[in-house]
Amino acid sequence: MATRTVEVATGVPGLAPERAVTWPKRTKARLPNGLEVILAESHSIPKFHGELFFRSGNAAVADRAPGLAEMTATMVRTGTVKRASRQIEEDLRSIGADLSSAAGMDTSAISFAGLSEFAEPLLGLVNELAREAAFPEAEFERERRQKLEEVKLERTQPGFLASERLRKVLFGAHPYAQLSPSEQQVAAYKREDLQMVYRESYTPGNGLLLLVGDFDPQAMLQNIEKVFGAWTGKKPESRMAAAPANPHGRRVYLVHVPGAVQTQIVAGCHAIMRRHPDWVKLGLTNSLYGGAFNSRLVMNIREDKGYTYSPRSGVSALRQHGYLSVSAAVRNDVVAASLTEIFYEMDKLRSLPVPEAELADAQNYLSGVFSMGLATQDGLLSQFSNVALNELPDDYLETYRQKVRALTPDDLLATARKYLDSANMQIVAVGDRTQIESQAALFGELEVYDAQGKRLD
Amino acid sequence: MKRLQVAIENKTLANGLKVVIAPDTTAPVVTVGVYYKIGFRLEPQGRSGFAHLFEHMMFQGSANAPKMQHIKLINSSGGTLNGSTSYDVTNYYEAVPSNALERVLWLEADRMRALKVDDENLKNQRDVVKEEVRVNVMNQPYGGFPWLDMPPVAFRNWANAHNFYGDFADLDAADLKDVQAFFKTYYVPNNAVLLILGDVKGEDGLALAEKYFGNIPAGAAPPFADPSEPEQNEERRGNVEEKFGTLPAMAIGYGMPKRRTADWYAMALLDQALHGGRAGRMYRELVLEKQIAVDADGGIDDIFGYNGPTQMTTKIMHKPEYSSDATLSAFDAVIREVREQGINADELEQLKVKWRSDYYATLEGGRGGSMPKYGLMHLLACFTLFDNEPQLVNTILDGFLAVARDEIHAAAKKYLRNEKRAIVFRMPLKASTKEAA
Repeated sequence: MATRTVEVATGVPGLAPERAVTWPKRTKARLPNGLEVILAESHSIPKFHGELFFRSGNAAVADRAPGLAEMTATMVRTGTVKRASRQIEEDLRSIGADLSSAAGMDTSAISFAGLSEFAEPLLGLVNELAREAAFPEAEFERERRQKLEEVKLERTQPGFLASERLRKVLFGAHPYAQLSPSEQQVAAYKREDLQMVYRESYTPGNGLLLLVGDFDPQAMLQNIEKVFGAWTGKKPESRMAAAPANPHGRRVYLVHVPGAVQTQIVAGCHAIMRRHPDWVKLGLTNSLYGGAFNSRLVMNIREDKGYTYSPRSGVSALRQHGYLSVSAAVRNDVVAASLTEIFYEMDKLRSLPVPEAELADAQNYLSGVFSMGLATQDGLLSQFSNVALNELPDDYLETYRQKVRALTPDDLLATARKYLDSANMQIVAVGDRTQIESQAALFGELEVYDAQGKRLD
Repeated sequence: MKRLQVAIENKTLANGLKVVIAPDTTAPVVTVGVYYKIGFRLEPQGRSGFAHLFEHMMFQGSANAPKMQHIKLINSSGGTLNGSTSYDVTNYYEAVPSNALERVLWLEADRMRALKVDDENLKNQRDVVKEEVRVNVMNQPYGGFPWLDMPPVAFRNWANAHNFYGDFADLDAADLKDVQAFFKTYYVPNNAVLLILGDVKGEDGLALAEKYFGNIPAGAAPPFADPSEPEQNEERRGNVEEKFGTLPAMAIGYGMPKRRTADWYAMALLDQALHGGRAGRMYRELVLEKQIAVDADGGIDDIFGYNGPTQMTTKIMHKPEYSSDATLSAFDAVIREVREQGINADELEQLKVKWRSDYYATLEGGRGGSMPKYGLMHLLACFTLFDNEPQLVNTILDGFLAVARDEIHAAAKKYLRNEKRAIVFRMPLKASTKEAA
């Protein structure tokens, strides 16, 4: 708990009346081939941002190998039947465009941004990457080797090791448990396997094309019909993996990194998906707990006690499940003290109603920050994609602030009791066991692993 | 070709504070920044890391807004805030719904007028900063590479060569007297610029600046140490041990010309020819073609925001089966080619289109999703503090678009010379010792 009395500010100017927040109109269409299209104007700069999503990611093909969709996405930009890798990169540069291709657990995407005057050639290239990627053999060998070095490197990053262990603990046999492939799994990737993922996933029936920027939507829509109209392909069958069991009782997982001069803590429990009716309530509860600079946890273990630079809590919403986590990189001698405060603040929200004034502050925060996305093209794009990919109601953006404002201390108490599952949090500590093992063991039954994931005694 | 024109109004208040307003009513959001012309380059000797530690202290309390109130008042107005310390400037910035503009200005003015902090605050933030250094440098693979590794190898003047994050002994030695002295010397209105961008009218912005900042007394003109370097006539090399990572890495830095000289515009485009992503010559040759490196990137750090010696730096992580020498030879071959041939005509045309596109993105761009116009703020601040010419934000693009091939070739020959460079090798400890314990 905080040891210092908080003084208040004097003479602070009040807030002027709020200006209305108006989200740009979305033009929606579905092409005859099934491709869903969403367009919105934003004329802040003479450019546009776009993203072509496919609703299948690493989880959909995890039974073949972890990370297979990510490797497929990596290969997509390395050559088409018409253009070699070098040509693709130079063509992008010649029209001033940026492009990346990547896959998460639930989606694969080609993301791009470019000058409005060159919209046509950029969309043409995106279309080519989505339909005619060639997976050149030499490029595949090179990218696989790079991937191998990347996964080796990940195992030296405390943040990665912490997230990886938490995912394993929370999701067990579910595909979400595999944050990243192992070296052996990468070495076993085959070009044909990637091509199969590409054929199945990169189809118009599985796709969503979102564009935000400096263009006329009707003209852009015609352009899109011209470029993407002849593409064919159905939505792949989606497979739902069995729900992971909810871990019961606190346990502690120590990942031993010899010589670590700090300990990366992360603790987490199952939570909810975006579509869940409690989503907004949990968002507000999280922002009070550790989701904002002004939150209780940050004020406590950073601004009051100086244990850490970057404490944070958040709710990660994947398509089939969500989880809540709290993290902090702390001094080795305050691992137990930090965990104590992490649980103290959680239990306090579970036990006592939030004072009205603090609730109002948090409501202002969430509602204000939500509208920052309005000011940039990629901010708008991420809000629109969030709504579309999570199948949220059409008026989600327009009604979000009202929903935040309507919540009461009772709502938050009930939400905290339901989702800040203090008694069943799974705790991961990445650090030097010789420095932290006895502290970590105070919080539950302890298992120790090395950075490669091998169980140690 | 559509050109982006940023509307700007600016003036200097009687106390010397420069004010720049860039109105844009697209969204009901306003970004406010205050930049002070002091960074870690010219922090006091014996106090490495102090400029950054001081930046943290600016959030610890001012005359009318005590500890924790700055953060609370911005967050509870629906906004986000942060600050950062770089070579030659330190900034403080907020993005808020525009109905909170006056509150933000009041807070920034309050801490420009008087800092009110105590020993407990200093101890607290010293601890926070140490954890920041641990999480970003000491406990991370390749932490501080190359931004902390390169300066002691490349430079001879303490201003450019010291540890900018701070030796822990120096952080421990800093006391409240240092804090107040630094504040009094550098945090005066006549060494700062206030920026208001977004949902505000030009005249209203200027009037509000006057209202909240106009009566802060000016200070003495701050003294600035000379950051210039003795001329470099030999290649410099250094080694740093990599405690966690698995790949050998190296960074090669060449000294840069002064900002806004003809050479500077040419070097900026040459930098893009070399480091412009996957189409850049470094990545193409070292990663895609020769496949010696796993990654190769770099460039001129904060090209608009430096006001002293700086470098164009290439950062390479290479496969362990290639030696440092072999990797450096491959790097040298790329440099030799631009020194001998310059770049191609169509390559230059592509680079200019890309430069224009990137420039617009910078102006619009946030720092993360919740900080719109961060780039515009940064450029306006640097053009005001270093050049006294905020309108450069609308004209500087022309300088890049006018660069000719022969100018780039001449710049390559003049600047990309072995006796003008420094190299840092960051080598992993042996695998066997890594697994011990």
